[in-house]
Amino acid sequence: MIEGFVYLLLFPGLLFQVVCGLAFEWLDRKFLARFQRRVGPPWYQPLADLIKLFSKEDLLPEGANNVVASLLPLLSLSAVLTAGLYVPIAGFSPFSFEGDLIVILFLMSVPTLAYYLAGIVSVGIYSILGGGRSLLQFFSYEVPLLIALSGPAVLGGSWSVERIMASQASLGPFILFQPLGFILAVVGLIGKLKRDPLDIPSAKSEVVGGSLTEFTGTKLALWHLVMNLQAVVGIFLLINLYLGWSQIDHPLVSIAVFVGECLILTVILSGASAIFARLRIDQLAGLGWRILVPLSLLQLAVVILMGV
Amino acid sequence: MNKISIPIGPQHPLLKEPLSMKIDISGERVLGGSLRLGYVHRGIERLAQQRSYTQDIYLIERICGICSHIHTTTFCHAVEALLGIEAPPRAHYIRALMCELERIHSHLLWLGILAKHVGLDTIFMHVWHDREMALDIMEGISGGRISHAANQIGGVRFDLDKEKVAMIRSTIAKLHTQVEGVLDVVENEPTLRARTKGVAPISADLIKKYCVVGPVARASGVDMDLRRDDPLPPYDQLDFPVVTYPDGDAWARTMVRAEETRTSLTLIETILQEMPDGPVTTRAPRRVPKGEVIIRSEAPRGELLYYLRSDGSDSPARLKIRTPTLAALSLLPQQLSAIHVADIPVVLAGVDLCVACADR
Amino acid sequence: MDRIDIETILNKIQLQTGCVCETYAHIENDDTIRIPADQLQAVIGVLMGDFDYYHLSAITAQQREDQTDELEVMYHFWKDTGLSLIMTLPAKLPQLTSIISIIPGADFYEREVAEMFGVTFTGRAETPPLLLPDDWDQGPPFIRDEVNNE
Repeated sequence: MIEGFVYLLLFPGLLFQVVCGLAFEWLDRKFLARFQRRVGPPWYQPLADLIKLFSKEDLLPEGANNVVASLLPLLSLSAVLTAGLYVPIAGFSPFSFEGDLIVILFLMSVPTLAYYLAGIVSVGIYSILGGGRSLLQFFSYEVPLLIALSGPAVLGGSWSVERIMASQASLGPFILFQPLGFILAVVGLIGKLKRDPLDIPSAKSEVVGGSLTEFTGTKLALWHLVMNLQAVVGIFLLINLYLGWSQIDHPLVSIAVFVGECLILTVILSGASAIFARLRIDQLAGLGWRILVPLSLLQLAVVILMGV
Repeated sequence: MNKISIPIGPQHPLLKEPLSMKIDISGERVLGGSLRLGYVHRGIERLAQQRSYTQDIYLIERICGICSHIHTTTFCHAVEALLGIEAPPRAHYIRALMCELERIHSHLLWLGILAKHVGLDTIFMHVWHDREMALDIMEGISGGRISHAANQIGGVRFDLDKEKVAMIRSTIAKLHTQVEGVLDVVENEPTLRARTKGVAPISADLIKKYCVVGPVARASGVDMDLRRDDPLPPYDQLDFPVVTYPDGDAWARTMVRAEETRTSLTLIETILQEMPDGPVTTRAPRRVPKGEVIIRSEAPRGELLYYLRSDGSDSPARLKIRTPTLAALSLLPQQLSAIHVADIPVVLAGVDLCVACADR
Repeated sequence: MDRIDIETILNKIQLQTGCVCETYAHIENDDTIRIPADQLQAVIGVLMGDFDYYHLSAITAQQREDQTDELEVMYHFWKDTGLSLIMTLPAKLPQLTSIISIIPGADFYEREVAEMFGVTFTGRAETPPLLLPDDWDQGPPFIRDEVNNE
């Protein structure tokens, strides 16, 4: 009982994930700043921003549905936090079961749909445009992402993330067997997180703020938290599925390796953010269906043949 | 899908200065747009009639922050023509030096804005960092980064000694290396190319019909540069290439400005080498004899025209200013049809808006 | 860059439109031709058709202080050198033909002259204000008898 509370609220639940989310945001902003020859924010900046947002006035345009608009970030937050419970942290996963990968992927799509609804429900012109774009983007990256994340499941012979990770202890990290899959998974993750170069739904110069243009105060703070947590859970998932070396016996080494892999993935995401210009939605659709989907299917076929 | 109308401006992340556009879109296609100016209209032409010529220099410098020097240079040439005096050659060269520095800083500013609009913030940060070098030179020689107060009727306000010239040379050398590095990225980076190539092409015919000037015209193959065609001294003594591109799309507009930045950097070296010695100002009487004159010059955004009429007093009787952005804006609603919503920032960046200039 | 002889232009204008125009010699730097206001479209037709003057730089309007019952409007063209057309209109109810059907780029310049000097341009649907606010109700700002502090 007490154990349950500790797992849910402290580790690997609420507190741990929020801290990781804020740490991710700081690292991301710091790396981006260094790429751009700037100094970057101090370590407490994401926490300060969150606290500041909580203290701001919370208002929506006339005609917006306040109840739904409040529920959407809460729903997304709970979905992402729950998904995070099932992802092993340096080998530790108290809730894993056969099939939890599917559950994680399902829960991770809740914020995406909630983002679209948030745009519709907040009634501003830019919100509706941003929401529509987010749905279009969803159709372009989701299929290759899901296929790329299924590859390790086939290779590991299981739909439980913990078992997939464990099987890499004997076979070696799956990135060596399916490097293409890893790249596709990273691209898909960038699309899911709506980061540069795929931050089309919230492109500041085109739709001002996307779905979240009209959100302020507590609701906006919760949305920021959702975005950061999505990134953290996504990174943890990728590490477990592709780089899973964290099941080393010695716990401290295992944790250090896990943290190191997190940093590498954060650098990759920040670097992609710094180097590329934003794609247009039709360019993304073209990229998704003409290049990413065939490549992901190819990778899956190769993996299936390897398993045989 | 339904047609909806999105407002861009007067306040929008895209706009540095207020401008109101209503753009009709359907899904992700833009159907057309309309434009309303006047948010920064200060009545400069009318105010100029109520001030003396010397006071007007300070007024005119503040028409625009980016191209302030070319405005005062053109105005001073106009007044000097009416007075029948000629500023000393060294003054002309110093004016040209500031003009070229201004051109560089304007194009680098523009490049940063384009990069920001397409989501490539890294280039924006790097380019604006490098642009500081150009602004530092201007501050080192005139005392101001943006408003230099360099011109006075009859010449320029300051001279360049050996130290300043050495400082300019070394900073330009550093700037040149940095700019080459950035332009290398801009020319070869695939995502930037994907966002600008083929976007909103304008034919040379349309340019001529709408009387568009400057880099936008040169990017559609219209060969027009007033530094070569109607040169104010010392441009009649200087040799430099005028770059045109035939395609007329956003990519061509980017490349034309990139090439112009390179040209300006080499031109500054030429100016420093050929600058004659001598005084930098001559005496100019307060009262300007009756007369009318038209002076044209090449601002960073294109042809700048000043019509000045004097009635024998110490105030202008009529000052008419036609800024290049006004010509470019007349083509904007046309450019905004049949593009994607995501191309709107690219098109706006290609026009290189200076709304304060257009509104006066 | 060969200058087009102003005499050639004047002769051609006379040939095509029957209008005898004279040069106005007082603007330095630009050749200027004084034309009657009603011949504007015809003269521009000659300039564009026979001499390839397509670039209109600006349209300037002014009211000279010694002739307050007249408005002067100038059309500044450019091709290798500047060429301006100058015409006089009565200050009360001034009217000019719009040239946006031949030179669409003249739109903004005509609107500015319309709102600043009260000139009506015939042959176009409307001249919405360009720079003045929508609720400006104090008349054309540049007309001397409308503004008190001159």
